[in-house]
Amino acid sequence: MDDEPDNLVGFKASLRLNYKVFTAVNVPQAIDCLDSHPDIRVIFCDQRMPGKTGVDFFADIRISHPLPVRILLTAYTNINAIIDAINKGNVFRYVQKPWVESDLVSSIEEADKFYMANSMLSVKNDELQKAYTALNKFAHSVSHDIRGPLTGILGAINLAREMDDVEEMKEMMFLMEKSVKKLDAYVLSMHDYYSLQRGELKITEIDFNKIMNELKTMYSINSKINHVGFSINVKQEETFRNDEAPLMLIFNNLLSNAFKYQDKKSKNKSVEVDIEVRKSIATIYVKDTGIGILGSHVGEIFNLFYRSNSVEVGSGLGLYNVKSALSKLNGQIEVDSVLHEGTIFKVTIPSV
Amino acid sequence: MTTEYSFIIIDDLELDRFVTRKFLERTYESVIIDSFHDAQHVLNMIHENSVANNPVPAIILLDLQMPLMDGFEFVEEFEKLPAEIKKSYKIIILTVLSSKSDPIDIYRIQTYVSVNSIIQKPLTREKLLSLLVQLRSEI
Repeated sequence: MDDEPDNLVGFKASLRLNYKVFTAVNVPQAIDCLDSHPDIRVIFCDQRMPGKTGVDFFADIRISHPLPVRILLTAYTNINAIIDAINKGNVFRYVQKPWVESDLVSSIEEADKFYMANSMLSVKNDELQKAYTALNKFAHSVSHDIRGPLTGILGAINLAREMDDVEEMKEMMFLMEKSVKKLDAYVLSMHDYYSLQRGELKITEIDFNKIMNELKTMYSINSKINHVGFSINVKQEETFRNDEAPLMLIFNNLLSNAFKYQDKKSKNKSVEVDIEVRKSIATIYVKDTGIGILGSHVGEIFNLFYRSNSVEVGSGLGLYNVKSALSKLNGQIEVDSVLHEGTIFKVTIPSV
Repeated sequence: MTTEYSFIIIDDLELDRFVTRKFLERTYESVIIDSFHDAQHVLNMIHENSVANNPVPAIILLDLQMPLMDGFEFVEEFEKLPAEIKKSYKIIILTVLSSKSDPIDIYRIQTYVSVNSIIQKPLTREKLLSLLVQLRSEI
């Protein structure tokens, strides 16, 4: 910004080849320009202008436009003006008029480095803020999801001191076992949570038939004990490449939910997995005949620590991890659920 | 001890419901104890007055941290009920939270007039007995 248009022309002419230069002859024009180009990194401003000095202008925009780095141009070297420039205008450099082009260029380069460092700092700050928010949620969940079951077990131990009926004791042991398993599952899913937040993708070829055979063996015991039918259909005639670890996490969470949230009283309990790989996209359906999800809860089931059901105790991490895994694999998930009838999850993942 | 109250346990953890019930059964010879994992369900029942048909006042042993409706929401809704329903219940908080580690939560729950007292889990016979002594002195 300079009130003498000739100066602006000269300035623009010497810099326009390497930089994008905008010019303004007065304060309103300069503000307009800053507002419509939020990516401006460096501002040069003349000190002596009618109405307002360059320093006053810088002082004014410090709050409204904090990001651009400020450089003052001036022909007069007055010590008070320099002090003001530093203290009030918070200028980064001071360039003397008439300027030498190399001075301008070197001050721009330094200012740009400073600008980049500041921007990185704000990106890092945002990341840190997100990490803190997650940490807060974790700290809160620790009291319920870890201390809850632990104190329950402690209470049971207190009670056990007074018990002498073996049957009653056995009943309590069974419940204690469930609490311990829940704690263990929580710690495992916490581990999943952290491994998903970090680390790069490890792309390999994926054979869905092989994966599903492994899962079939894993869930066959659950299927038998709880009388839940388990069927799997895989159609894969082309190669599919992606990271197997997040993929397994998705399968494991969806399947364990499908088995866990069955209606215990129902006679026809089943879990079905359909996978088709076509045109480099894997479409996966996980269907269950379970208790379903209340319509008003469907929108929230992927949120961290959300639990839609109080009968089966979940950690509120499972589906959140599924969602994180999918964003890592660039995939999508849809849910279709009818209360008391069952739930269908549809997952689509592209091959890399 | 003879039955002066009936009890309603609200806790999402099955083990905790079991332990609380057994402690109560050991303290009272014949006592009516209902236990629930869903606070909303209990609220509905209280509203319909179906629990209040007991001849004796009911002590609600309420957990704070639960999915769906938590203890805070339960108390909040409970306080909106008509006074003649409320008078047949006393709410005792049974929680892992402590005033030392979770002062804000504990302070918050104490601000409700219907909350009679707070017991920190794990439950022990001593804690239960001192509660019962306190309740008796209030009548």
